[in-house]
Amino acid sequence: MHGDDGGTLSVAAPGAEREFRVEYLTRVEGEGTLLLRVRGTEVVEARLKIFEAPRYFERLVVGRTGDEVIDIVARICGICPIAYQMSAVHAFEDLYGVEIDPSVRALRRLLYCGEWIQSHALHVYLLHAPDYLGYPSALAMAADHRAVVEQGLAIKRVGNQLIAALGGRAVHPVSVRVGGFSRAPRRRDLDAVRRALDTAVEQSRETVRLVASWDPPALEHAQPLVALRHAAEYPYNDGRIVSTDGLDLAPGAWREAFAEQQVEGTNALHARTHEGAVYLLGPTARITLAADQLHPLASEALAATGLRDAIRVNIHRSIVARAVELLHACAEARDLIDGYRPPVEPRVAFTPRPGVAAWSTEAPRGLLHHRYEVDEQGHVLHAQIVPPTSQNQGAIEADLAAFAPSVLDLPQAEATKRLEMLIRAYDPCISCATHFLDLSIVEAGAEEWTG
Amino acid sequence: MTQLAPPSVRLLVCGNADRGDDGAALSAVATLLPSLPSAMLERLEVRRCGHLRVEDLLEVPEGEVAVVVDAAVGIAPGHVVTLPIRDIVADPAAPTPRSSHELPVDQVLGLADVMRPGGLPEGTFVGIGGRRFGYGRPLSRSVRLNMPAFQAAIAAELSRLTHVPADRPTTPG
Repeated sequence: MHGDDGGTLSVAAPGAEREFRVEYLTRVEGEGTLLLRVRGTEVVEARLKIFEAPRYFERLVVGRTGDEVIDIVARICGICPIAYQMSAVHAFEDLYGVEIDPSVRALRRLLYCGEWIQSHALHVYLLHAPDYLGYPSALAMAADHRAVVEQGLAIKRVGNQLIAALGGRAVHPVSVRVGGFSRAPRRRDLDAVRRALDTAVEQSRETVRLVASWDPPALEHAQPLVALRHAAEYPYNDGRIVSTDGLDLAPGAWREAFAEQQVEGTNALHARTHEGAVYLLGPTARITLAADQLHPLASEALAATGLRDAIRVNIHRSIVARAVELLHACAEARDLIDGYRPPVEPRVAFTPRPGVAAWSTEAPRGLLHHRYEVDEQGHVLHAQIVPPTSQNQGAIEADLAAFAPSVLDLPQAEATKRLEMLIRAYDPCISCATHFLDLSIVEAGAEEWTG
Repeated sequence: MTQLAPPSVRLLVCGNADRGDDGAALSAVATLLPSLPSAMLERLEVRRCGHLRVEDLLEVPEGEVAVVVDAAVGIAPGHVVTLPIRDIVADPAAPTPRSSHELPVDQVLGLADVMRPGGLPEGTFVGIGGRRFGYGRPLSRSVRLNMPAFQAAIAAELSRLTHVPADRPTTPG
């Protein structure tokens, strides 16, 4: 019989089959279940089931123009709305042959910096740090590590400021338009955030040092990695889709290498390569595939950790990758503001044309692909939106299978904590809540105990 | 004798207009604001929050009070509640604002309490129970029918905090 929290799992006889089921609680955009089936000490099945109700955004945008689509898809996520706007706007501009002003391009990178700063700071400090410092939540952690939480909130606030300055408001910004922005900020509109970025850069540098000093659970499991790569900049809005397996595609050509598929037991489509392989997106992939394009300050900080190879094989080290990207985003944002000259016109005119509008950008959690079939009037006929979390599901399951054997003999509470921690390392949208797993253990033919 | 001026009030309006009852607060405040007396409006700073974040509460200056307006879970649809913000933290069973995304609301309020000098800002949560929060849905009938009561509760709280009667005729603009 299995014990409650703090108890020890029974050791199954060789060949006997057990199930480990981890139920998700709500508080999040997504809800799901982790199911582990174990035979002896071998994990024979690891499944992450997301049972969030379908949200029909791909249907909601049908019949809409590009500008309307940009506002609608921003509502998909409260943390990374800009990623959704950027993939959409670039897709339409690519189809319509729109050449945007270089200042507008810089503003879009700056806006993306804002999103990365607030999203990465949220995850590193408020969602993931409690795992490493041994607390059940950021609130509990704040009592003993006030300075850590203060630093995280301070950096996050700079991201909010940037988004509000460029996007009109910090959540679900409204300024992005096909051809540019509805309004471009004056240089002095950015003065306050520019000053704040000086501090944020230093705080982010300290963040890298801090998280690199934390010991992660052991795991060595290299997965195929996929990210954008650009010849001259760290990937946000632009670049080619590359992989550790030698892939090299235009940002709109995602479907040439990948496809979505319905998987039993989950409402989120899984994505695989055409050969059926899973792959990993996000900070781990970007650092591995594009570290040479990091801002010099971020590059230096990454080198000082000595963890670049460890990031590649242990997803628990993604917190270091995320912190390096936090520093990159703060440093690049500062440079972009220093070099900013408002465009003569915030937006250029365009003429819709029929065809396929497709593009990929780098959301904080990884590659986000949009594809729209558009008619002569510029109205969407069909849409496909492939978020990073659904692409990462297969990789999460593969890592769970690789990691689970190391926790099978731990007390139940500790096993639960380790599994939760692994899933949080991906920063999936479903981990918007801090601790959301409830581990139950089912032995074949026995009743279920809930931990 | 010197009279202390009543505090300024930061009105934090939470929710998404396109998510059914999650838009209740936006709808209520949008129609209520033009009817409020100018003396009250002068004391208000209205902020649209989307979802309530720790930073929204940390940024309330010392000496200001906050009124958080949102759809609520934990109460019957259409039911209107007014309670001190601190009571939400103190009582896990209390109705809570719906619009929290980054962190659960107990974490948002708890962190603000710990991190803000002086703790959580003084203030009130005014909520209306929501029934449905799906994208593209209109307000539910329960919320629509009780919208006047929701607006009255918000106005009453603003009146209490600003010391300006809510029923004073609006100054022509």
